[in-house]
Amino acid sequence: MNYLTYLLAGIRNKAGRNLATAFCFAFIAANIFSGQYLTSGAGGSVDQGVSRMGADHLVVPAQYQVFSRGFGPENTFAVVRAEPSTYRIRADIMATVGSVQGVMKMSPQLYVATLREPALSPSPVEIYGIDPATDFTIQPWLQHPLSTPMSPGEVIVGHEIKGDISSQISLSSHTYTVAGRLDPTQSPIDRTIFLRMDDAYALAATEGIVPSSDPRVSYGDINAVLLQGDPGEGSDLVAARIRRAFSPTYITVISRHFSLDPALQEIKDLPRLLTYISLIVVVAALPLISLIAAMVAHERQREIGLIRSMGAKRHVIISLVFAESLILAATGGIFGVGVSLIAFTLISTQIIDSSALHVSFALPTVADIGMMAGVALLVVITLGSISSIYPAYQSSTISPYDAIRKNG
Amino acid sequence: MIEGIGVTKVFRHGRSDVVAVDDVHLNVIPGEFVLIYGRSGSGKSTLLGMLGGLINPTSGVIRVNGLDIGNLSDAMISEVRAKEIGFVFQFSGHIPTVTVLENVMLPMLFYRDGPGSLSRAVELIRRVGLSDRADAYPCTLSSGEMKRVAIARALINSPPILIADEPTGDLDIDTEYEIMQLFQQLNSEGMTFVMVTHNLDLVPFGTRTYRMDRGKMMEIPRPLPGVTMTKEPNTHLDHDAGTAMNEL
Repeated sequence: MNYLTYLLAGIRNKAGRNLATAFCFAFIAANIFSGQYLTSGAGGSVDQGVSRMGADHLVVPAQYQVFSRGFGPENTFAVVRAEPSTYRIRADIMATVGSVQGVMKMSPQLYVATLREPALSPSPVEIYGIDPATDFTIQPWLQHPLSTPMSPGEVIVGHEIKGDISSQISLSSHTYTVAGRLDPTQSPIDRTIFLRMDDAYALAATEGIVPSSDPRVSYGDINAVLLQGDPGEGSDLVAARIRRAFSPTYITVISRHFSLDPALQEIKDLPRLLTYISLIVVVAALPLISLIAAMVAHERQREIGLIRSMGAKRHVIISLVFAESLILAATGGIFGVGVSLIAFTLISTQIIDSSALHVSFALPTVADIGMMAGVALLVVITLGSISSIYPAYQSSTISPYDAIRKNG
Repeated sequence: MIEGIGVTKVFRHGRSDVVAVDDVHLNVIPGEFVLIYGRSGSGKSTLLGMLGGLINPTSGVIRVNGLDIGNLSDAMISEVRAKEIGFVFQFSGHIPTVTVLENVMLPMLFYRDGPGSLSRAVELIRRVGLSDRADAYPCTLSSGEMKRVAIARALINSPPILIADEPTGDLDIDTEYEIMQLFQQLNSEGMTFVMVTHNLDLVPFGTRTYRMDRGKMMEIPRPLPGVTMTKEPNTHLDHDAGTAMNEL
């Protein structure tokens, strides 16, 4: 016989009522956990979605706009990759572009060639060079983030390119290791292989890669600089500043003319709403659970009087009332979190499987889930503790003799 | 062992005070079987509660083994209850959620270094005649069996004093006699008893008898004048003896 046996026996004795109490705690825990999970998942999705929207501006050779139809000053497409073009600029313009006020991120891209590689794709494969260290448009589309930065000889492949992660693919006489695969984009990016810039120059120098009719690719050539501007600076203003820094016959700036801000604001309001709902549930549940705890304590007055007559000290009575409440809170909390987690896992899998873009809901990491579960449990345990303060105090201060006789 | 000096208990009921126990003096020596007789509402249970440290007296001093229990902290009075006193109450006083064996072992939780043990619990259950019901839950027991469980539980920590508040009040005569025989046996082994009852038939079991009336307590000389008592079951004091007791 120990305290736990005694407590559990008491809980078992009133199984229905205690199940109802534990269910209250489960409901609260599930509510808090779900709120956090949805907030985190939605936030992750938004972050991922925003990061996949690519660049705000494209700095390209002046002839690019003529070459590339569809992109104009009022472009509304997401800019993830520059169009294939043999018009090139020198990479040293990046020093000037980078010094322009309002430029937050920039990364170069080089179109090398379009190759027929039936072993890799039934359609022609486009080869690009990127700088993995500064790239902010391609890597957000990775199915899984790279475990280590892209090394020489490693490539990122579009969704339709054959080859598993870590497998080797050959382009001409060069062999590369597939480091990452992109999610489908429903665009030519799905049939693109991205090399490190050094590897791209080496491949471009290989005989037969760049058609003899095209200008040769020299070391330091790039096709475009992709830019992300400071949200605080006007998009047009940043583009104008860049244009002013160069001759209009050398480069031009193509800007994206749509904003995610309104949608983002609405999405940012969602966590606040979920937090309010959780708070309302907690506030509404507190008196209910306190009432149940007070009823339980009142009902057990005789029992408490009896064990006081056996020598139980006040702190033992307080501990017993608290412990019972904590057992119910923890049990309910774990159940609520568990059920929510299972439900979310099933729902999330369903959403991802049916999503065209595979980015519908960003699953929180195991560490995040652990943190959320911990917060939910902490809240219900705190709630259980608060709700049992008065019953515990009342039980410990009641006269044992009165308790025994009144209920005898 | 238990000493009460000028013990008084006043309860407040609305605007008036009710004196439940009025200036009682009592000295229980080790090995005694003190029986306190009185009608319902005479204050005997309140006195017992005070002697056991469950109620604080309004005035007066109660000492248990020399300790003034009216001035002890909750922790110390709880320790006195755990170590020195076993209680048997009028009602069955069981914990319904645990088995007979666990009920008997329950006081061990509050007196960790005491003599209580599983083997002692089993032995006590055997002694009160419930060996075959050790794993049963209280709801399956008869009133008499529940009372035996309460007695075994009161004895688990080997307290030197057993305080019994109408322990046979709800029992049939045969069971009442068996319980009293058990008490007498324990008393003969050295345990001190303080028991209250409203049943005149039990008076012969005490080594000293008091009568309470409206909070006042007086000792009844033994043997009662002109009364012969027997301990056989189904035997009652005759009307004259009862009248004599009430007149004292």
